[in-house]
Amino acid sequence: MTTLIVNGMEHPLDLADPRVTLLDALRDRLGLTGTKKGCDQGACGACTVIADGRRILSCLTLAAQCDGREITTIEGLESHPMQDAFMRHDAFQCGYCTSGQIMSAVALLGEDRAGSDDDIREFMSGNLCRCGAYSNIVAAVREVARHA
Amino acid sequence: MTTIQQQPRILGPGINRVDGPLKVTGQARYANDFSLPGMAYAAVVRSTIASGRITRIDTTAAEKSAGVMRVITHENADHLAAAPATFIKNPQAPLQDDVIRYHGQYIGVVVADTQQNATAAARLVEVEYELHEALLDPHDPRAERIKDPWGEDTAWGDVRTALKRAPVMIDQTYTTSENTNNPLGLFTTLAAWDGDTLTLHDSNQWPNMVQMVVATMFGVPEDAVRVLTPFVGGGFGAGLRCWSHIPLAVMAARHVGRPVKLELTRPEMFTGLGHRTASFNWIKLGATRDGRLTAIEHESLTTLSMEGDEYEPCSSVSCSAYASPNVTTRDQQVKLNIPWTNFMRAPGDSQGNFALESAIDELAWEVGLDPLEIRLLNYAEVDPKTGRPWSSNALRQCLEIGAQRFGWSRRNPEIRSMREGHELIGYGVAGVSFFWYQQPCSAKVIFRADGSAYVRSAVTDIGTGTYTIMAQLAARLLGLDVEQVEMQLGDSEMPAGAAAGGSGLTAAVGSAVHDACGRLVQKFVDLAATDPFSPLADVGIENVEVSEGRLYRKGDPTRGESLARILAVHGLDELAADGSSTPNSPDELGMTPAGARGARFVEVRVDEDLGRVRLARIVTVNDGGRILNEKLARSQILGGTVGGIGMALFEDTVTDMDTGRIANATFGDYLVPVNADMPDVHIEFVGEPDAFNPIGVKGVGEIGLVGVAAAVANAIFHATGKRIRSLPITMDMLMD
Amino acid sequence: MREFRYERPTTVAEAIRAVSEDPEADFLAGGTTEVDLMKDGVFHPDLLVDITRLPLRGVRRNGTMLQVGALTTMEELAADRTLMERAPFVREALLLGASTQLRNMATIGGNLLQRTRCRYFRDPAVAACNKREPGSGCEAVNSVARMHAILGASRDCIALHASDLAVALVALDAVVHLQSEQEERSVPLTQFYLMPGDTPDRENVLRHGELITAIDIPLPPEGIRSTYLKVRDRASYEFALTSAAVALTMDGSVIMDARVAMGGVGTIPWRGFEAEEVLRDAPATPDTFRSAADGMIHDTFTVPGTAFKVELAKRTLIRALTEVTS
Repeated sequence: MTTLIVNGMEHPLDLADPRVTLLDALRDRLGLTGTKKGCDQGACGACTVIADGRRILSCLTLAAQCDGREITTIEGLESHPMQDAFMRHDAFQCGYCTSGQIMSAVALLGEDRAGSDDDIREFMSGNLCRCGAYSNIVAAVREVARHA
Repeated sequence: MTTIQQQPRILGPGINRVDGPLKVTGQARYANDFSLPGMAYAAVVRSTIASGRITRIDTTAAEKSAGVMRVITHENADHLAAAPATFIKNPQAPLQDDVIRYHGQYIGVVVADTQQNATAAARLVEVEYELHEALLDPHDPRAERIKDPWGEDTAWGDVRTALKRAPVMIDQTYTTSENTNNPLGLFTTLAAWDGDTLTLHDSNQWPNMVQMVVATMFGVPEDAVRVLTPFVGGGFGAGLRCWSHIPLAVMAARHVGRPVKLELTRPEMFTGLGHRTASFNWIKLGATRDGRLTAIEHESLTTLSMEGDEYEPCSSVSCSAYASPNVTTRDQQVKLNIPWTNFMRAPGDSQGNFALESAIDELAWEVGLDPLEIRLLNYAEVDPKTGRPWSSNALRQCLEIGAQRFGWSRRNPEIRSMREGHELIGYGVAGVSFFWYQQPCSAKVIFRADGSAYVRSAVTDIGTGTYTIMAQLAARLLGLDVEQVEMQLGDSEMPAGAAAGGSGLTAAVGSAVHDACGRLVQKFVDLAATDPFSPLADVGIENVEVSEGRLYRKGDPTRGESLARILAVHGLDELAADGSSTPNSPDELGMTPAGARGARFVEVRVDEDLGRVRLARIVTVNDGGRILNEKLARSQILGGTVGGIGMALFEDTVTDMDTGRIANATFGDYLVPVNADMPDVHIEFVGEPDAFNPIGVKGVGEIGLVGVAAAVANAIFHATGKRIRSLPITMDMLMD
Repeated sequence: MREFRYERPTTVAEAIRAVSEDPEADFLAGGTTEVDLMKDGVFHPDLLVDITRLPLRGVRRNGTMLQVGALTTMEELAADRTLMERAPFVREALLLGASTQLRNMATIGGNLLQRTRCRYFRDPAVAACNKREPGSGCEAVNSVARMHAILGASRDCIALHASDLAVALVALDAVVHLQSEQEERSVPLTQFYLMPGDTPDRENVLRHGELITAIDIPLPPEGIRSTYLKVRDRASYEFALTSAAVALTMDGSVIMDARVAMGGVGTIPWRGFEAEEVLRDAPATPDTFRSAADGMIHDTFTVPGTAFKVELAKRTLIRALTEVTS
């Protein structure tokens, strides 16, 4: 039995089939569908979650590897100022990449990498936004970083 | 009553998206977020040749694989009826024969208890083919060509003579590569039969279209099929047809007698949903020595799949952009063994504009005119094709204001004259005259006794903001706060909706909502008229206004009643009205629908040794008619700009000419812009409410993309002296 | 992805034994290449031995050597103060090598083993791939290949080694420590990778069941001038078209010592011994740099899509050299 600690809750999981990725476990087993699958191959960032304090891609992480690790998903954010800033700056359109963008942006603050717009752009480049909200994402992150 | 015509051009700076709270918390549910009890998972099998027949397909190993419930191929598939067309053909039902028409075509589907088992088993299906030579080269003389495919070839004046006599001529070929829409959301269909009724959670841009096509294919009445699309993870045109994975999921669900979820993978998104055509544009411009156009000839060739259908009139842009007494435009398509070509954000316009705006730029250099000046010199004050006035057109303002914001006057006119370190600096401009396509649409508006109102239409919000702006519009028209109004959409059972495509949805559904609100107010007036005690008993609709939930006599807010009170007096819980819209006829109105207009100003930095191009800044000024929510409209232009950057510098769907396989069908290999590619972007709206539809909008979902590529290419020429006539522009083209 | 078994032993010895006993088993670390290849359907282990929790993580300075546990993540190594001060170009290679999410997952040992991005290798719909199916041919050679190798390549294989980090590390003569059931051994990174030759399926000297336990990075002398220049279409989050790792020891305007390696060009991370020879004791002038570039890039094998990389690679190296010496 594998135990995932997701958003502070322990979830025992039967992973008889170890092919289940963390992303699939979150979405299909735990019903936490806020984390999105955009490419399933580590090239878009839509599945970004925070594991033991660091942002990772849940699509290339096997669920079994996360036994006992603390995972935070978009559902685990409690009214984070980043969410409000994303709304005010219209930092999304279709909304599909948004969970990953926000998780990445929240982690970015912890990495202390939001000092300049260039840094924000570079360190948010692992999250594709096909609707093209990039400038607004930078504006949202910049604002939260300044007030942090 | 309160009319939209009395409202300002820009209805305020714009509120936040009403669906924002759901999207920033991960609660907005897309098709692949839904699950049903007993649900099975499907994985597709795709052909690995581009042309031929299946001679043997062996599913034994797949069927024995863990958790597999069913493997369906052409040998045991249901026979489905022909797929009906909308304004364009839909793909015919999959698995109906053994013929392979493109690499990546669906040849089977595996249904299993888990996604992992389905995906693994799909790889175990063994296929043998009789291989035919595939037609993959657009210039292959054996490939069938369709001339004038839409009956839109145009000619006026005498282009041949005008070109012969023109003192200055530009004669060039401009090409654009195939691009893939690649919305981030993986298109998914969750199909659930209940007896003879079917429910689909599906990614698309037009629920009623999916409903109609699926009902026809499976021989059930349309009202037996319900399509739910409350959210879709982007579309950019990819959701405007009923692609083959949809009937595949429906068929699979019928075979296994339980709900089936079919989620495409990213590589499957490249072959299964269509992609932007490659285009070849042959342009001849004739002009006087001072740069006045005397002739435009624009011919285009675009790619088409073997059984496909596509509307990409690249040459049409040359009918409306500039005043020229002699114009010929012709389009052709060439049929190839490639996956379906399909609409992608600004189809036709984006490719044709790159060609025309590059050619105009070449002409400017040829005659020694400022590229901005030549565009103003040849400005089309009226529709050059018909001589009719435009329904509205602020292209001149776009160019003039854009030039001001950009600082165009600081441009040194010489090529290779501006540099900083290793980098050559160039300024480029492009103008945009964009067409849009409006469809019929209907909507219902309901006002409830508790003061809440609902707007319903079976449309989708693909990120364009339909949820928000329709709530705003209805609130304005009914005199309510926006918080009181909820827009409901994405359900085929709602009043028939238009496609979220062709930049026409806001006009279509907005006009329907406008109509419905007018009718609803009329109903309130009529009700009040039956109540002798009502202060409104004797007024007609032309003499009332609504605000803050109250209906009152024009000019005297004290004499009126609240909508809620009118309902209460008559013992009603709610009052509803239906509205509809149909596109106006240019002939009846005596004007040409102008569509949105725009201008792009771009500063590029080109590393002289390495050929690397970086965009420093973009000024994009657009005439979108009335802007219902400036914040969201700006986002549409920003998104279009990013799409334009992708088209200009990165995006290229590469086909292996040996096999017809798409060689770069992943996000690691097919490059779309990332955050670090972003220049500073300045966005501005100009113009007036458009006269062509009652709410005065033009639609701004696509125009932002158009013109970026040409402005980039023109700036690169200014920087380097190199004229690049094909997209995308990559560093190998710019290394000396 | 085919079914497989998953184990997570708690000691290095157990992990090595588990993999050694099963010819179809493999170690699993960050998974960023391995799980990706399994999803592509071109890698089918029947046992994955998760080593991520083995005590092989951390960075330690030992005199002039930086000892890096194989399971240290890219992000952790990039944050190491000594690396930042003494070999900043290695840090640059790390930061330019992947997104932050991937850097938090990918380990240093795993990064050195990352497989090519060649889409002909990674797509099972492609029949001919000598790297995947020895003897089947190479379809990439006859097709559209842009992100492919021009050095060490042949008609049999043009797959590119895509690591940025490995490029920087071969320049510094890093040493890889390997452990198997039979022995522990150390291999210089410059001898770790194998040229494809007739066996493109064999990419390095690792034997089945052998585990990378650590990487020693010899610290260059203080005061070197270095850079990792990565040239690509996008501004970020993309593999290199060309890249150059350059570390020079200068005396005034004369180059005393040089370390040079390039990425984006070779079937393996390409150390520029010849270029270093040209640069050593030479004045930092454009002529010197051009000669070094000619010494770096020769005997190329190109296809139409990669032909431009010959000159691009030279200019990349010249630019890197120019930047660090000006």
